[in-house]
Amino acid sequence: MFGPLMQGRGRFNQETGEFEPDGAGGDYVNNLPAVSDPEQTYANITRQEYMDYVENYREFEKELIEQAQTDTSLIDYAKEDALASEERTRQIAERNRSRYGVALTPAQMQEQQRSLSRGTTLGGVQSIADARIAQRDANQRLLADLINIGQGVNRTSLQQLGSAASDANARKRAYQSARAQAKQQTIGAVGSLGAMAIMALAI
Amino acid sequence: MGSKPKQQDYKPSEAEKASAAVAKAEYEFFKANYEPLLIKMRDKAKDENYRDSIRGRASADVAQALTSNLSLGQVTNVASAGDTAAAYSGQLQKADEGAKSVKNKMATGVLGTARGQAAEAQSGLAQVSRMETATALQRAKENQALAQAKFTAGVQIGGALGMQGLSNMQQGRSFFGGTELGQPLPPGVQGPPAPDRKLGFRDRLQAGSFGNLIGG
Repeated sequence: MFGPLMQGRGRFNQETGEFEPDGAGGDYVNNLPAVSDPEQTYANITRQEYMDYVENYREFEKELIEQAQTDTSLIDYAKEDALASEERTRQIAERNRSRYGVALTPAQMQEQQRSLSRGTTLGGVQSIADARIAQRDANQRLLADLINIGQGVNRTSLQQLGSAASDANARKRAYQSARAQAKQQTIGAVGSLGAMAIMALAI
Repeated sequence: MGSKPKQQDYKPSEAEKASAAVAKAEYEFFKANYEPLLIKMRDKAKDENYRDSIRGRASADVAQALTSNLSLGQVTNVASAGDTAAAYSGQLQKADEGAKSVKNKMATGVLGTARGQAAEAQSGLAQVSRMETATALQRAKENQALAQAKFTAGVQIGGALGMQGLSNMQQGRSFFGGTELGQPLPPGVQGPPAPDRKLGFRDRLQAGSFGNLIGG
């Protein structure tokens, strides 16, 4: 009744531009299990998807929303670095001096200490100020991304709900229409029976 | 009068059946193969430590920029330590910022995909690898280059001065080339008569461009 093309048994060969029936390769589609009740399958998948989301991502999403509003890690790190950088730089300078076998005079040592303190303080102040700006920026961007995702989810949900409401409304109207039709038919039938009874009595 | 509707006329077509079967198979394939990956990415976005590796890279940047061409002048330059400290603070702050950006992008990418929204295609790691140089590091590099240039210029000027001074002394003059006022030039030395000559460095500073004493 159906040819291989109609049944989908085969595949389109792009090189030859022709449909090749089975025999030229595996029939992947016809070997798939048939979906006997697509509506029920779709309902099951929708339900399972939501359950998987709640189980796997709901907590993760809440943590991100919380983080976007309260995260101060960049500022905290900058403060830690500002404290540690003086010691690190002093060690670097000492290592470099020992490589060259150079010793500083007490006056030079004092000046180096002053320079280190100055550099550490100024650098720390600047990096903490930069970190504050970067933190605000990162939190803002994260929040904006989350809101974008949320907005998409909201839009999809409203569309689904709108579709469900529209279907429900159509069903309600179909029911009312059917009920009115049934009532009309009943009245018509009763009327016919009544008319027939009157005619029978008259005869 | 029309015939009764036949149920077989309301059966799905072959195309519809194939479409449903393929869709379900694709869904199952996705759930089996991609969903675990997405969950792994979720865990990675939560727990992966990008910070340490990016900070390591930032520290290496500072070390390369400020100490790769180490010289005696830099080692003994006591003022450069402050620049180095500020450069480290600035660059590490940039590294933390980059790591945070990578983590957040990955997290929103995972969540967006899980929520059926468009996934973020770029992780942002490549961007971090091209991390912009922090201002403090740039300034420290510039200061170092300036100090090196000053040192080089000082060596050149000092060298020229020393050579000229030695030459003057070999000719019997003072280091700065002057002779006592009124004294004749040493034998065999060419030049203007002695009264035009100034004795020392101070006299030279007080002299105008053409050798006359200012106000003198």
